[in-house]
Amino acid sequence: MNLNLKLASLVGKKVISYWEGIVNFRDFCVSIIRSFHSMKYLRFRSIYRVIINQTKFTGIDTLPFIILISMMIGGTIIIQSITQFPKFGIEGFIGNLLVIVVARELGPLATGLIVITRSGSAIAAEIATQTQNKEILSLEIMGIDPMLYIVFPRIIAAVISLFSLMILFDVVAFFGGYIISQMTVSIPIDVFFQTLLDAFSLNDLIATLLKSVSYGILIPIICCYYGLKPTSKFEVPIYVSKAVTRTLFTIFIINALISVFFYL
Amino acid sequence: MVKFEKNEIRVGLFILIPGIILLIFTTLKLGYSIASSTIDIYLKIDSLTSVKKGTPVKIKGYTIGRVVELKPVYKPTLHFLATMRIEREIELYENCSAVILNQNVIGDPAIEIKNPEKKGEALINHDIIEGIEYVNLEAVLQDVHLLLSTLTGTVNMFKDITIDSRNNLRVLVSDLSVSVRKLKEILDDSQKDIVTLLSSFRQTSEVMTEISKEFKKNPMKFLFEGKK
Repeated sequence: MNLNLKLASLVGKKVISYWEGIVNFRDFCVSIIRSFHSMKYLRFRSIYRVIINQTKFTGIDTLPFIILISMMIGGTIIIQSITQFPKFGIEGFIGNLLVIVVARELGPLATGLIVITRSGSAIAAEIATQTQNKEILSLEIMGIDPMLYIVFPRIIAAVISLFSLMILFDVVAFFGGYIISQMTVSIPIDVFFQTLLDAFSLNDLIATLLKSVSYGILIPIICCYYGLKPTSKFEVPIYVSKAVTRTLFTIFIINALISVFFYL
Repeated sequence: MVKFEKNEIRVGLFILIPGIILLIFTTLKLGYSIASSTIDIYLKIDSLTSVKKGTPVKIKGYTIGRVVELKPVYKPTLHFLATMRIEREIELYENCSAVILNQNVIGDPAIEIKNPEKKGEALINHDIIEGIEYVNLEAVLQDVHLLLSTLTGTVNMFKDITIDSRNNLRVLVSDLSVSVRKLKEILDDSQKDIVTLLSSFRQTSEVMTEISKEFKKNPMKFLFEGKK
């Protein structure tokens, strides 16, 4: 009986903890939305520099990793399909496979993962450090809304970066796939890209854009939320780790939901 | 003039390049083209014996374009892609047929395109269709030559069979004459034997007649004569 009570209290504690987390996150999102009321007091030039720096850090600096990874993914998929597809007599569907695997699923997901591990963790750590150094408090004392000055530019930068990175990921993966495919099968470049163009629908494009926008909003919001959480400098690594894992979890759920909505 | 920092230019390019790619893709996907009033359709062919640069492309006898380029494709097996530059206004559908025909006895080829009865998706720039029939004068001559050689072979075979049959008939007739002769000899020999046999029968009958007469006269004497 005593054990049962302990178990029940443990489960209840966990559920309440998760529920409180959800409610706190909702309040945080609401506070961001409310901060848009004071947008009229915000000078764009004051956040312009932040947006440029964040876009450079999240987008341009990530570009070499994205190019390398996308080329390897595109090449791997082509190698697998070139060796396996002829056994089933469907070697003409290589373009379709690239579109389905890379453009629809792997491209947005891989881009999201790279941005989370690289920029998401950096955002969380930066804001956590600023919180510990009372920089956020100083902003509030000066009458500057930290949601507008800290979170909002990061959301814009993340949306821009993820949108551009996803498109570049797809394009490089297709080129990588084409270069690899030339080693075994001679396909004219225009024929290859025409097949890709035929396989790629406007639905795929809308899904990719929706993923880039939703990831671009969610990644900085979750990372900023956990970045503002630490109450002491010893909690910084804990919340940075939490920010990364929770964002990853959310991204996978959002990816699955969008895929179900568009393709099922 | 407004001066931009290095990072600003980088970010600008980082946004512009994917934006342009997206714009081009959307434009192509929606079927628009910034190109001329023609589209290029590829015709997949097995051999280059008839199609060449400048070969007209026709629909119902009306010329709608020409072959502008021929490219070999080495894998998986050697075939060729003929680029047909066709007027954009002409509507062709993906399941149309492209027949390579001879226009006249000299053998000038033309590609005749026939739209299907049930229309599928419209062909767009850089689509591929397959040359489903391939007829030219050389091919016809080759076929005729093949037919004549087959016919010659058949006639020769029939002739051989006839010669063999004639020999066999001759042998058969000679064998038959020998057989008839042998039968005649047998019959001749048999005739002599029959006369002898008949005379022997006659003698036997005479002896039997005498015995019967004797038996009738003195049956007991006949039976017991010589017993004592």
